[in-house]
Amino acid sequence: MIFDVALNGNPCFSELHPVLAGLIRALATDPWDRYPEGSKRLLPAPGTHEELCLDWEDHVQPGLRHQFDTDRAMVSADLELMTQAEGQDGDDGPFRLEIPKGHVDAWLTTLNALRLAIASDHDLGEGELSDQGFPDLSTERGSALMQINFYALLQECLIRFLQDGGEA
Amino acid sequence: MTATPDLLESSETAISPSQDLPWLVIVHNDPVNLMSYVAMVFRRIFGWTRERAERHMMEVHSKGRSVVWSGGREQAEHYVQQLHAALLLATIEKSA
Repeated sequence: MIFDVALNGNPCFSELHPVLAGLIRALATDPWDRYPEGSKRLLPAPGTHEELCLDWEDHVQPGLRHQFDTDRAMVSADLELMTQAEGQDGDDGPFRLEIPKGHVDAWLTTLNALRLAIASDHDLGEGELSDQGFPDLSTERGSALMQINFYALLQECLIRFLQDGGEA
Repeated sequence: MTATPDLLESSETAISPSQDLPWLVIVHNDPVNLMSYVAMVFRRIFGWTRERAERHMMEVHSKGRSVVWSGGREQAEHYVQQLHAALLLATIEKSA
């Protein structure tokens, strides 16, 4: 995978192996559908005051949920534009994904939301998340870790893009 | 120059029992959130320098939580809403 900035200023992931492209396409997943338990982490309570929590549930969380859905819809639309190069000898070629610079925040939120939902759903702790070793992909837990870590890499690239002066 | 009683009262800001203690905005650690992301969110929401954002981020990381703001309840709720929109774990507490 290569990350760089296109001539038009858009961040771009290229030379994406089809497996990685598949993982990126999974960002269109609605975490509330796929990880209903894990998605509870996406709308946490604001504290312990009962009245505040009830108000939050009624008046704040619907707006947050709507924003997350809107961001995911933007990411889904961008995913439709992911292109695949012709591979050698008839094999599947690598993919290229260009993200409009104005959509970077939506991508960061969507990446983070899915990471949080997956981690919460599998009850992944700090030790596993910080383990530098390669996860056991034969297990669901290991596959979840790999997915979370890959999305983290994408997030870091986009954060670096913003820090280097890319506009969001 | 001598301050008159009513000027003294206004300069000290009228205080009601419910407002005498500030509300705290606290960010809690979540091992999933990237440190770079948390620092970026802090800079955006609070307008902090990189150094201050990273100091609070490291406090969240090492101590489990960091008080990022204190003041009136309405503003505190606004900040927590923004932090939740960025998927950070944040709560409001009354200052002890």
